[in-house]
Order: sequence, then structure tokens, then C-alpha cells
Amino acid sequence: MLEGKKDGWKALIALAPALIFLIVFMFFPIVNTFIMSFMENFQFKSGAGIFAINHRSTGIGFGEYINVLRNPLFITALKNTLVMVVISVPISIILSLLVAVVLNGIKRFQNVFQTIFFLPYVTNTIALGMVFKVMFGTNHGLVNLVLSWFGVGPVAWLTNAASGGYWSSLFVIVVYTVWTGLAFKVLVFLSGLQSIDKQYYDAAKIDGASRGRIFSKITVPLLSPMIAYITITSFIGAFKSYENVIAIFGNGQYTFGPYGNTNMWITVVGFIYKTMPNMMQAGALSRASAGSVILLLIILAFTVIQLYVSKKKVNY
Amino acid sequence: MEVVLQHLSKHFTDKKGNVAKAVTDLNITIPSGKLIGLLGPSGCGKSTTLYMIAGLHKPTEGKILFGKSDVTNVPPEKRGIGLVFQNYALYPHLTVRKNIMFPLENMKMPKEKAMKLAQQYADLVDIGKLMDRKPKELSGGQQQRVAIARALVKTPKVLLLDEPLSNLDARLRLQTRVEIRRIQRETGITTIFVTHDQEEAMSISDEIVVINNGLFQQMGKPQEVYDEPANLFVAKFLGNPAINIFEGEIKDKKLLIDGIEFDHGFNGEDRPVLVGVRPESFRLDTEKGKLPIEVDYTEHIGRDVTVIGHVEGQTKTIRIIIPSEQLATIGDAKKLKFTPKRVYVFEQSGERIK
Amino acid sequence: MAQQEENMYFASEEAKKAYRRKHIITQILLYGFLILVAIFILIPFYWMLNTSLKTVTELDLPQPTLFPREIAWSNYAYVFSQIALFGRYFLNTLLVSVCTTVMVVITTIGAAFAFSRLQFKGRELLFGALLVTMMIPGEMMIITNYMTISVLGWMETYTALIFPFSVSVFYIFFLRQTFKQIPDELYLAAKVDGMGDFGYLFKVMIPIGISSIITIIILALMGAWNAYIWPQLVANAGPHRLITNGLMAMFTEEFKSYDNYKLAASAVVTAPILVFFIIFRKYIMRGVSRSGIKG
Repeated sequence: MLEGKKDGWKALIALAPALIFLIVFMFFPIVNTFIMSFMENFQFKSGAGIFAINHRSTGIGFGEYINVLRNPLFITALKNTLVMVVISVPISIILSLLVAVVLNGIKRFQNVFQTIFFLPYVTNTIALGMVFKVMFGTNHGLVNLVLSWFGVGPVAWLTNAASGGYWSSLFVIVVYTVWTGLAFKVLVFLSGLQSIDKQYYDAAKIDGASRGRIFSKITVPLLSPMIAYITITSFIGAFKSYENVIAIFGNGQYTFGPYGNTNMWITVVGFIYKTMPNMMQAGALSRASAGSVILLLIILAFTVIQLYVSKKKVNY
Repeated sequence: MEVVLQHLSKHFTDKKGNVAKAVTDLNITIPSGKLIGLLGPSGCGKSTTLYMIAGLHKPTEGKILFGKSDVTNVPPEKRGIGLVFQNYALYPHLTVRKNIMFPLENMKMPKEKAMKLAQQYADLVDIGKLMDRKPKELSGGQQQRVAIARALVKTPKVLLLDEPLSNLDARLRLQTRVEIRRIQRETGITTIFVTHDQEEAMSISDEIVVINNGLFQQMGKPQEVYDEPANLFVAKFLGNPAINIFEGEIKDKKLLIDGIEFDHGFNGEDRPVLVGVRPESFRLDTEKGKLPIEVDYTEHIGRDVTVIGHVEGQTKTIRIIIPSEQLATIGDAKKLKFTPKRVYVFEQSGERIK
Repeated sequence: MAQQEENMYFASEEAKKAYRRKHIITQILLYGFLILVAIFILIPFYWMLNTSLKTVTELDLPQPTLFPREIAWSNYAYVFSQIALFGRYFLNTLLVSVCTTVMVVITTIGAAFAFSRLQFKGRELLFGALLVTMMIPGEMMIITNYMTISVLGWMETYTALIFPFSVSVFYIFFLRQTFKQIPDELYLAAKVDGMGDFGYLFKVMIPIGISSIITIIILALMGAWNAYIWPQLVANAGPHRLITNGLMAMFTEEFKSYDNYKLAASAVVTAPILVFFIIFRKYIMRGVSRSGIKG
């Protein structure tokens, strides 16, 4: 009875509000930015409107892409981003999985712990970033205070001290990223664990499976879709790192490092934002566009690889 | 392998301290190698009993014996039982083959041997050709057969089935219950299944056990339990359409319904009693019949005719089944003739008076 | 623990005692682990409070104290008084938050309704397109949107802060899923009773799906509070500044060297959302976890 319904007009009315905004602020920009990335030395011309093609450029080609890829700042950003992704994502996922499994196994206070673990999700990245900066302060920080109790000398976490500054800052960034990221992952894993029908555990018990086998052969496979989902979204999120870095250094939207080395931990997204704000400058917008397309491609590549891997390992 | 339940009870206590008595003082001996049906209405404790035999519920009191061994304190994986869950509980991420092999892998059986055994039982239950499918690609009936194969593959001492037919459509139910019978005969394993459908239980069981409210009612071969119910509950639970219950009395050691004498030789004081007569145990006979009945409706279903009428003085309507050759029309005033052996007399409390 | 033991089997009394011992040790380990993680999560909050209540002189002590010697409540008053526009930032954020939420509710209900209940040409195609956009990094859209806002003369306006966030593909997915779970029979019954599609939407679908809509409202209200990147680009210089941008400005300007004032400001910005969370915890967590289950 529902077949053959023709709701064209009604759909238009219902969708209109959403569609207007979707087209103007989502579909159009994707195409427009894409086009802009190929307009070499894009020059914004007043009065030319919102369509990129109506503005001036010195030619259509891959010029801006080459420019970006050759830019030492971008290369630094790329390197930084990769390091952050490779280190923080696995730690984050394993820790949250562990927490979820333990949480699922206890009987009391589950709600209390869940609420505590979820707090970072709602907090302000910039606000808490500053807290971490203060906590990891060289002279007055909490971390160094605790270290001094064990006789370990104060560490210059977020300063420019020789080469150590790079890795010590990374440590702080990773800790902050894990701290904020735990909430979402634990929640999803816990929901997943709780959604596994208890009957499977009963059946496995009758089938003589030991606790270890039940975990590895029943729990983990049935949880694998969640694990795949979290892995993919975590990688994507980590590639887009930006706010947490500037929050840690707490000195404005273009400070990615300590005094004297403000680009130390610049990320790909940070590079994009640093390149674009001066619209009038020739090539600013097109370079930023190229950067964002490159980011898209990187994310796509990683996601495709991961989807391929998960197809093989997520067996249901 | 004989299964003996001794003084078996299971009480559940919730957080507020309320006690729910699921099963109370069951004493049953289930003979080895037979197909036994545990029958009763929903919530009567039959599934709880099954789960206690399986070891998933620990009895509050009592013992369970497999043969001569007391297994009351033995965990389920060590009892040697196979359990087919009502929802089958097939591992959704494993193929049929891997599902059936799972118990064998847990027993650390070498893979070659396990695969052969799995195939053997899969063929026995007739899903041998679907080994590489996943559960969601199978129909309900097929899934159930996989569950049965998985339960059988470790050659259990006892096979338990929880409401095996209730998730199947009507046609499949008839087929499957024959299958269950066949499989049980071929393997010879002591099999206990739980159902609320009396026709199912009657049709395939070697013996049935009737349970109500956690209490044992009666055990015996289906026809015996049907013909000689131990109490009112059993009489009413078995048989379709249900047994007719007349309000009668014992006076001067005679059985009277609406003042008409039907039988004598009863002990005890004068008291009201209930008289049960199955629909097929009547004849409409204006000459030899004793109890007048007026016909309200007739239902012709081809094979026979159901006559629905009322007897003055009786509150409930009476249903009779008569061969289609006999005639009855609405408004007829006929007389009921009872088949004497098939008249059951019960105290008001439900006990059977012999 | 007694309840768990009820369903367990022990070969002997000794076995039972040994199990009990092992069980207690395991429980200690498990709870201990969780407590450690909880401490890890809570420490920054504690340090934020601790530092924000210290006097400036106490900050300079060679070793930071774990608890302020003098609790300087005045720090908070100072923060408010120093930043003339702090209250203004609050109000701006509130305004933007409410307006965005209103827009989001309208766009989401309409779209979710269309995708779940209506049939029209290109429905699957359009939905697929939405799916695809979820994968695309927001940065690609921001660049053009930045230009668009500039061209339309909407820089430094509330419009620039509200419009781009008036629709969210994630919320549309979420609500569509909820709507899809309403059985078709209800729709047919309503039709038989003479109700049109839009009537069905308002009289049946919205009431039944109200808890999901509430979740969306709550999440949307929270969204503006922590927004930083976009407002920084389009509305940071003037009176339309939002709270998080104001916070960063305080970090770089007025309170640059004063950890206690900085963290007091952080606390002020964090507190309202925390309170909001504690009240609406159920809705927030349910909304977030549902996004994970469906993937």
C-alpha cells in the first residue's frame, strides 16, 4: 500500500529548510573549494561573487598543490600529524577498550564511573588545554611536583629546550588527546558489550568454552563492528588535529609551539588555517584549498585501507 | 542415561525480598533413551526445571542425578548435556560448520576429526548441504536444526530442548516434531523437551510430565494421562476442544447431576463435585440419554460435527463432538448419553475421585 | 557476590574458599584500575579549581601547593570585572546557541521526515550524497564558507555564526533512524482515519520520537558553547565574539602571565556546560552512543 506513493511536492517542502543550508554551506563549498584548489594564484576580486571561477587566477593547474607539497611548513605539519595519529590513536583505543571491558565486568558503581569517564567529552577544549599547560608547567606544574617526589628532576615539557622539547610536547599532546578521547570510545564500546545477547554466553558455557575462549571467540568477534567503527573515526579525527594542539600551547590560534618555535607542532589543519585568513593575498585561498583537498585524500586513503582490513576481519 | 530429580525446588528472591517459587518439590524419574515432554502453561516452571537439569540454574533444594551420579553441584560444561535454546543462540559470526564444531574445539578435538563429526551430525539433521552459510542466511527451521546438531555433536548423555516448536509456523511445526522424533530414535539419547502445547507433547512423547505452578501434576504415557487424568488441571489441560465440566453432587453416595443419578458407590459425605466428560465421550440419544440438552449452535468441520448447547442448571456451555452422520439442528432438545468409563469425577479442590 | 556464587559449582568447601579469595583479588584489581583511570580523568578538574583559587603570590612559590593556602574567591570576581565584555560573550553564545538549535530542529525534523516516511525520486541518491559528505573534512567547506560570508557582507554578524550550523547531517541520520522505527501500521491506521502526511508528522511522529528530538536539542545547545574555529574566523573582532574565543583572547592578552586568572576563566567557561551535562546526562550519553551502534 505504500508502494507507488508520489510525494515529490511534500518532500520538497519538508526538505526545503535543510536543503537550502546543505546546498549553500555544504555541497556548494565542497565543489567550490575543489575548483579553487586548481586556480593558481587565486586572486580574490571584490564584487565577483561567491563562485570561485568568477575570480582571477593566473591559470588552471596543479600549481598550488606543488606549492603546498613543497612548502617546508606543510611537510612539518604532515610529519607532525602522522606522528600524532600513529601514537595517540592506538593508545586511545586500547585504553578505552580495556576500560569498557572492565566496566562491563563490575556490578556496582557502573553509572558513577561512566559519568566520570564521560566528563571530558562535554568540556571546552581550549579551557582544559590551558589546564594541561599549567599542569605540565616547568616550574609550577603538578606533574613536575609529583616527579620530584620520586627524585626525578623537573622536565621542561612545553618549552623549547633543545631537541627534547619536541618529544616532551608530544607527550603532553598525546596525554591530552587520550584524555579527551576516552569518553566517546568507552561509551560506544560499553554499549556494544552490553548489547551482546547473554544467551550466547550461556550457549558457549554449555559448549564447554573457557572464560578466555569465550572472550576471544565470542565477545571480541561480536564487538568487532564497534572496534572497526571506532578505529576509522579515531584515525579520521586524529588527522584533523588542531584545536587540542593550540589549546595546549594556549597562545592563540596560530601558536603550535613554545615561545620561539611557534610552528613546532603545526598540524595539517593548522597549516590550512594559517594559510587562509588573508583572503586578499594572492594564492592564499587556493593554497589553503589545495591543502584541504590533500587532507581529504589522505583521509580517504587511510579509510579505504581500513575498510578493506575490516571487511576481512569484521566477520559479521 | 536416566535422569532423576529428587525433591527439586527453585525459588527466586528479588531485591525486595519477595520470593517467587518457580519449582517446588519435583520428584521425577526420566527413563533412559526416551523422549519426554515437560508440559504446562506459561510460567509453570517447566523451563526452569529444564535449566536446572542443564545446570544453568542452581536448585534451591534437591538433587539431580544422571544415572547413578549426583550432578547437582557439577557445572553445565561438565555434565555432558546438549541444550537447544528457544531462540537457538547460534553464534551469528560463525558459519554453520563452525557453529557445530565449536563444542568440539572446546574439547580440544583435532580439527580433522571435528570436521568429520560435524558433517556427520549435520547430515543427520539434514542440513549437511548448508555448512558454509551464516545463521542469518538460514530459515527458522534450518537454524533450529543447526542448534540441534550443535547440541548432539558432543554425544551428550541428555539432550534438552526449550520450546523447540514455538518459533516455527504451523506447517513447519508438524514437520519438525516428526524430525525430532526421528532424530531421537536414531540416536537413542535421553531427550527432554519443554512445551506449552499439549498436542505437541502428546504427539511425539514417549511419556509426558504435566506441571502447573511449579508443582508436579502427573506423569505417564500420553494416552494414559489423557484417559486417566490425576486431577482437574490435567483433565482440563489435555484435549482439544477442552473437557466439559459439569457441576454435580454426591448425595447418599450417589452421583447426581441436576438431580439425575449417574452413578453410585461413592464414599464420603454429601458434597458438591465436578464431573468432567470429554466432548467425544457423549452421544446424543433421546432414548437412552439421561441429561437433557438444548442445541445452540453446530459447527461442521467435515470430519465431524461440534454441537454446542446448554444444559439447564449448568452454567457453562457444553461441547460435544458427534460423527457427521448424526444430525442435530439448532433448537433441538436432545438427551446426552455418557460413556461410563469416560466420566471423571473431581472434588471441588481438583482431586480425582475414583 | 553471593548472588553470583549462587549459580556456581564448587567441588568442595576448599574450592569455594579458594574461589572467594581469587574473586576478591580480581575485584580489587578491577575496581583499582577503574579508580586509577577515574583519578586520571578528574585530576585536571581538580587542578583547575585548585589553581584558580590561589593568590598571585602563592602562584610564585617554588613548589605548587595541592590546596590553596588562602582561598581567593576574589579571583573569579576579578575575572569578571577585568573583562568588560565577558558577560557579553556569555549572552552572545547563548543567543547563537538557541537560534542554531531552533534552526537545527526545523531542518532536521523536515529532512528526517522526508527520508523516512516520504517516497520521492532521488531519495536514495540524495541520502547517499549526505552519507558521503560525512566523510569530507569540514576544512574544505570552511574555506569557501569563509569567502561566502565575506562576499555576502555577513562578517561579524550573528547570521554568520548561525546559518552555517543550521543543519547537521548527523542529526538527520539520528532522527531518521528513530522515525524509521515507527511501525508502518501506525501510518496506515492514521491514513484510514483521514490524516494526511504532515498531520501524521506533527500528531504522531514527533510525539513518538520526542526523546530523540530532545537529545538533538540538548546536543545542539551544547554545540555553540564549545565552538572555536569558525567563530574565530568570522566573528572575533567585534561585539559578537563567543565565549571560547573570548577565553583564548584572555589567555593571550589580559591574563597572559597569571595562571590563576586564566584557570578561573577556564572554570567559569567549563562550569555551565558541566552543570548542563549533569542534568541532561541521560540524553547526552544516549545520543552519543546511538551514533556508535549504527556506525
